[in-house]
Amino acid sequence: MSQGLAGYIIRRLLWAIPVIFAVSIILFVVLRLAPIDPIDSLLGVRYDEEIAERLRQKYGYDEPLHVQYLRYFENLFQGDLGVSTRRLDFSVEEVVIPKVRVSAPIGAMALVLAYVLGIPIGIYAAAQRGTYRDPLTIGSWLFVDAIPIFVIAVWAMWFLALKVSLIDLSYEGVFHENIILPVLLMSFPGVAGVARFMRASMVQVIYEDYVRTARAKGLRERTVVISHIARNAFLPMITSIGLSLPAIFTGSLFIELVFGIPGIAREMLEAIFVPDYDVVIGFGLFTFSLFVLANILIDITYGFIDPRVRVEAERGV
Amino acid sequence: MATRTQLSDATALDLPEAPRWRTLRLLLSKKIAVVCILVLVVFYGAAILAPWVAPADPNEQEFTVEAARAGPSAEHWFGTDQLGRDLLSRVIYAARTTVLFTVAVVITGGLFLGLGLGLLAGYRGGWVDNAIMRLGEILSGVPVFFLMLIIRAAYRERTNDLAFWLKENTFLGADAPPLVAFVIITGVAVPFVWVGLARIVRSQVLAIREQEFVLAAEAMGISTPRLLIRHILPGVMPIYLVGLSASMAGFAFVELGLSWLGLGVDPSTPSFGSMINAAGGVRTFEAFPHLLLVSSIPIIVFFFAWNLLGDALVDIVEPRTYRR
Repeated sequence: MSQGLAGYIIRRLLWAIPVIFAVSIILFVVLRLAPIDPIDSLLGVRYDEEIAERLRQKYGYDEPLHVQYLRYFENLFQGDLGVSTRRLDFSVEEVVIPKVRVSAPIGAMALVLAYVLGIPIGIYAAAQRGTYRDPLTIGSWLFVDAIPIFVIAVWAMWFLALKVSLIDLSYEGVFHENIILPVLLMSFPGVAGVARFMRASMVQVIYEDYVRTARAKGLRERTVVISHIARNAFLPMITSIGLSLPAIFTGSLFIELVFGIPGIAREMLEAIFVPDYDVVIGFGLFTFSLFVLANILIDITYGFIDPRVRVEAERGV
Repeated sequence: MATRTQLSDATALDLPEAPRWRTLRLLLSKKIAVVCILVLVVFYGAAILAPWVAPADPNEQEFTVEAARAGPSAEHWFGTDQLGRDLLSRVIYAARTTVLFTVAVVITGGLFLGLGLGLLAGYRGGWVDNAIMRLGEILSGVPVFFLMLIIRAAYRERTNDLAFWLKENTFLGADAPPLVAFVIITGVAVPFVWVGLARIVRSQVLAIREQEFVLAAEAMGISTPRLLIRHILPGVMPIYLVGLSASMAGFAFVELGLSWLGLGVDPSTPSFGSMINAAGGVRTFEAFPHLLLVSSIPIIVFFFAWNLLGDALVDIVEPRTYRR
């Protein structure tokens, strides 16, 4: 079994290579064909043909597209992601990592909060099935989910900061009390999804024989719901959690813009406008690789947690 | 299991009902679903009939101190914005943008690609299935919004050039820039929206394909298109509609988010995104709350109605087979 699993993981990783390769070509071509010239944006009003020519030579932008791509890929294999033109030749890592350090803790907190709120809400709704409380709970979270994040943020900021002066809005770093509101708002859209998913998977196991047996043994309803139903219902959640892991590192563009958080999503938006070729491609490949890894991780976790799950070698990435 | 039993109880006395009618009948027996459908009918109706329903031209400006950012009045029910434009008319036209965008995305990405490729992958199997699903996996891993931003932001000069060229040289005239922007954001969204739907359809087709009536139809020498449309599609439809209604709010949010960033529809086209952005500073909200309220509440109601409708449909269409 473990032999098969190892082989399976290796096959998955091998399949990931051509896919990442394909994605890198797409990103590369889409960016290079864009009509904006990074050297043009870099020099701005100081634009001078001679300096521009020299800079193009320096970054290799004067060469044909396929030569540029081959060089990029060659460097990539040696672990060199390139340099940022917008950020004065800092390497891509030097630009991206500090920004991810800001976005990732916020994203992680929001993700944990979404599950910490969503799972009990889903369990509660499923346990209250057939009463008005079930649709009311799910419905009210669906309503929260329906409010665009840049609307609810304005309302919350207006009420909490201007009306009751409870909070301050300035960004003071990731581990500061001012981060509570952005994290809370960022987790809200996820809560409805998690709650609904948890409820649906609870409902699927509620009528299983072992649940009836547990009740017949005279276990308390609480024990039945939590240890027998919720525990098994939790299995499908692994996929959902796994798939949302990469989002931690990409940050939330709207939250970062509204709250003035200097995170990775804003950095990328600005990099795209220039466009800062290597930074954009590097970050794009980074997020895509995270997605691939998350998928493999999900399958491995399933194999460990639920021995019934046989690894399907044909499923690919 | 209970839902399954309920379903067969409901139809036990009648002749077997076609699944699509059963879905519709059960849906209409839910009060919440009916209310949602009514709300959506009003939204879509107002949007489609915008030129006749809107009380004023959404782009007609009035530059006086009293006319700008005026609160609701008998003349302007929703008040006016910073350029003195009638907000009710702008809301109605913004609804039209939302509706046009979602309909365009649903027809191309949802119906044509999502349903079509899902049916094809599920029925044909083999390398066709593999190719379609692999492509879907790759696309679902690409950070969609990121790629949209690249295309909209980095290509804005080229698309503007195209728009102005069309404006000067074709019959489109002033309609060209909004049309070009609209086609581009739709075109950027479509390659990504079909994946989830195609997966749902495919897994349902796989289940149906094994059933005896399909074998019987094949044995009678039925043509493939006829088999797909007459025998497989009706069984796929309910679950497909669940997936579609659950995705609608997401589709609409693509346009909303891009327009909020200023990268969506053309500035001359009213959109909830750009209206919310213009009204959405904390200080602006404190001074002129009606600006944000009237431009956000309609789209919140729209999202909420689709969310609830999607939820009601999930309950009806066998929750056991529905996975996202």
